[in-house]
Amino acid sequence: MLRRTLLGGLPALMLSAALLPHTAMAQTAAPSVDAPVTISFYNYNLASAGLGGEATRKLIAEFMEANPNIIVEGVAVGSQDMASRLQADMAANRIPDVAQVVFDSLAFVADNLGAVALEDAIPADELAAHFEGMIPAGLNLGRLDDKTYALAYTFSTPVLFYNADLFVEAGLDPDNPPRNWQEVRDAAAAIAETTGAGGFNGSLAGGGAAGFDWALQGVLLSNGGGVLSDDRATLTFDDPATIEAVQMLRDLHEAGIYENMPSEVMIEQMNSGRMGMLLTTSAQQNTLIRAAEGQYDLRVAAMPGFGDRAAVPTNSGSGLVILSEDPVKQRAAFELMKFLTSERGYTIITSEIGYLPLRPSIVDDPAYLADWVEANPLVRPNLAQLERMQPWAAYPGQSYRQIARIFLDAVELAVFGGADVEQTLTAAQSQAQSLMPR
Amino acid sequence: MTSTFTPSAAPRLARRGIARLAPWLFLLPAALTFVVWVYWPLLDAFRLSFYEWNMLPRSEPRFVGMENYANIFELSKFSQALKNTVIYIVGLLPIAVLIPLAIAIYTQDLPERSRNIYRAIIFVPMIIAPVVAAAVWRWLLDPSYGLVNNWLGALGFEPVRFLFDADTAIWTIIFITGWKLIGFSTLILSAANANINPSLIEAARMDGASNWQIIRDIRLPLLSSTILFLTMITILLGAQWSFAYIVVLTQGGPLGSTTNIFHILWDFGFSSLSVGWSSAAAIILVLGFGALAFVLLRLVDRYSFHDN
Amino acid sequence: MTTDTLTAGRITGPARGALKFRLDRWFGHAVLIALAFLCLFPVYWMIVTSLRPANEILEGSLWPSNASLDNYRYALGAIPVRAMLINTTVISVAVTAIQLVTGLLAAFAFVRWRFAGDKIIYALMVLTWLVPLQVVMIPNYLLVAKLGLLASIIALILPHFASALAVMLLVQAMRSFPREVMEAARMDGASNWRLLWEIMVPNMRGTIASLAILVFISTWNEYFWPLLLSRTPENSVVQIGIQMFMTAEGTQWGPLMAASTMASLPILILYLVLQRQVVQSFLQSGLK
Repeated sequence: MLRRTLLGGLPALMLSAALLPHTAMAQTAAPSVDAPVTISFYNYNLASAGLGGEATRKLIAEFMEANPNIIVEGVAVGSQDMASRLQADMAANRIPDVAQVVFDSLAFVADNLGAVALEDAIPADELAAHFEGMIPAGLNLGRLDDKTYALAYTFSTPVLFYNADLFVEAGLDPDNPPRNWQEVRDAAAAIAETTGAGGFNGSLAGGGAAGFDWALQGVLLSNGGGVLSDDRATLTFDDPATIEAVQMLRDLHEAGIYENMPSEVMIEQMNSGRMGMLLTTSAQQNTLIRAAEGQYDLRVAAMPGFGDRAAVPTNSGSGLVILSEDPVKQRAAFELMKFLTSERGYTIITSEIGYLPLRPSIVDDPAYLADWVEANPLVRPNLAQLERMQPWAAYPGQSYRQIARIFLDAVELAVFGGADVEQTLTAAQSQAQSLMPR
Repeated sequence: MTSTFTPSAAPRLARRGIARLAPWLFLLPAALTFVVWVYWPLLDAFRLSFYEWNMLPRSEPRFVGMENYANIFELSKFSQALKNTVIYIVGLLPIAVLIPLAIAIYTQDLPERSRNIYRAIIFVPMIIAPVVAAAVWRWLLDPSYGLVNNWLGALGFEPVRFLFDADTAIWTIIFITGWKLIGFSTLILSAANANINPSLIEAARMDGASNWQIIRDIRLPLLSSTILFLTMITILLGAQWSFAYIVVLTQGGPLGSTTNIFHILWDFGFSSLSVGWSSAAAIILVLGFGALAFVLLRLVDRYSFHDN
Repeated sequence: MTTDTLTAGRITGPARGALKFRLDRWFGHAVLIALAFLCLFPVYWMIVTSLRPANEILEGSLWPSNASLDNYRYALGAIPVRAMLINTTVISVAVTAIQLVTGLLAAFAFVRWRFAGDKIIYALMVLTWLVPLQVVMIPNYLLVAKLGLLASIIALILPHFASALAVMLLVQAMRSFPREVMEAARMDGASNWRLLWEIMVPNMRGTIASLAILVFISTWNEYFWPLLLSRTPENSVVQIGIQMFMTAEGTQWGPLMAASTMASLPILILYLVLQRQVVQSFLQSGLK
């Protein structure tokens, strides 16, 4: 399918002739949507009764107004169930068109569910034009084997929220938040001792992880460890640097400053001013700010690292993936994706839901986020660490969920359950490795 | 033999044929439903439990033999799940059987009107949806804001992290499950108790038997079939009853302390839609509990005592 | 029930028994009051919490000092409660009606005739009671999807077209139906169809009502199958709506309790009105 250009006549022919040898395979998406088409948009923000759902509905409505030929049918599925639901519907021959895929299942969705690589569907220059202005580290999140399967949509990185009032009460300097784990430990101990509040908690292990290992991976990467080898064939739970990082968390627990509690409980404690530090997704920001207002001084610091090394933040969240094979629907889906990942899209996502803008330019642009950032300076440390971000590694194969569960269970046991760290992680590695694809 | 009465009119061949078909026609809707929605999936599950497949038409199932079963049994949490299942059953039995029994017996002499009022009230948890029950108890037992901890605090105790402490979580789930059932068991046992022939009791009293002797020698034996029935369904369905609360409230944690056989199969199998895992999990569950049911039915039959 | 009477003054034998009777009674009341409190208070607390305004949600008082419907307003705005209630009602009514019909038909077959394999078929039907939903969830979902019913509430009704419980209870009830009446009707030339619907069913009202209540309540409270099928909040049931307020980011207690109350209210009202019958129906199913 040759792309029609506005140039008529010979120059166009010559241009096409020059281009022809370079396009090994034509892009599959239709050039435009000329007749009404309906696409299904599987989305997990729609499945919760809160800000996420409202903002998403708003975005969809705005998009449909600007694109009268495209009707977007939102399908609400919980984030934990997204990949399974996509799989089930595809198995039943009801192909979803575009989906908000949590990054941990990206490999599965790409290899098993036939996610469409953007390079295969959309002409290269259109892609390049759209990608301009996006942080390279962000674009990288959706790439597997040099192809872009997902456009980072709602995602964030771990940041250290802390209660400045508790810091002061414990004799610490709130303007100098902890920058590495040793400092976190010292600060948490001081807070726990003098104020009786919780010292530290985070979306890392046990209940706080809420079933996803993204933030934990960041801690491991910060120590030079990780979960997956570069060739994505071997699990590295038993890597010495990984074990060391988990041991560090275990030490925090043994010092009495890091307790096992579900995600919503640790946030509740933070909101009631009874938690010193909380390492969690920056998407939590709006809720935390709202609760802290008039109650305590909430501040944000970058993710702590090990020793002198800068931390390696990983991303949480989701990317938008095209699953449809129909050319017109692919085009419609991409139009939706373009809107959702445009300056306007990220403005809503950041200011109303709390995720990160993949386009840093809008942060200082008065037409978009400048005023909001002015009023909510807490987002800045997050933006600053975006460049160091590395992707949340997705386990390959059909048993990826079981692998992730085995890993998280092992870490919970090692950190909070008193089990020997090395033994537990090694056992987990060998059991999970047998579940990797051959 | 298809009918107990032959029509008096001269049967035509077609009518005879239809008459023979009649029972099957009446059975058809229900039978069809069970075959389509229960037995066919079960058989399919058995077949698929030996494969790995992502269910998509484009890909072929890959035969893996017993690997799916091995993967499940090798889960480090599997033995914990089994152990917890026993704890759930042992923990539920007092709440589902013993306490209701005691209550039924010790409250039998109350006047009818107050009995009916009590009945009406203690039955309410039974009709509340499990999700609602989970939400309400989660609220009551919240470590920071829940009423129970507020009261404990007022009495001078430290707040208890009911659902979030590995030592208390399973007992909390057992409590919630039992809360939902206790009215039901109490009423069943009360009804069965009331059905005991009063003349038997009178006769025993006249012979000078003490209350305890009456209970031990007359009531308990005559209630035995009900007691055994309740015990049996607690053993067979206890893990299932607590399932909703585990999923909504603790997801098996903390530290796997609240998972049970049902939940772990859900967690690693059913909820993930990985066909191999789910099917193997389904077969394990059905065979395991099927065997258990068989054994229990035999025992119940043997030890039931009937009034004669 | 013993009929000892208390005669003041006498302290031996019967009087001691009578005294114990009084104590037993007092003890019985105490136990039942405690149990009743335990059973009812959480429901009461749910309603009370739902009536508290947002900033007083953490109050421990037994009745809200400033009762308000804020939480209800919020919940109604956040989730489409009306649509969900309608869906839940439609589904519950439909499942109840259909299960009664298929159950009656099947039970009639077992009771009216003896035929080859009837015992085995009955056993197989009853055994389905032991098969939990989760085991057949995925194949059922795929079947529903293949039938193109994913977005419709028919999918929530279809797998429940028959139930082991209905068949079991109705067989029990029919077996105790007086055979003379059946035989008389047959002698009069009544067809099987008429026998079932015009003679037996009207006389089984008690069991049918009990079963209807049982099925209605259990369908209303169903959670996992609707969860699997829910695609849009407008098309799902109230139990799913409640769960939308419990997220990993925090729970909105007020709206959660309001949603829970709204989801439970129809059943509670049904209970208040038909209380005796509801209790009876659960008991009957248990005693069998």
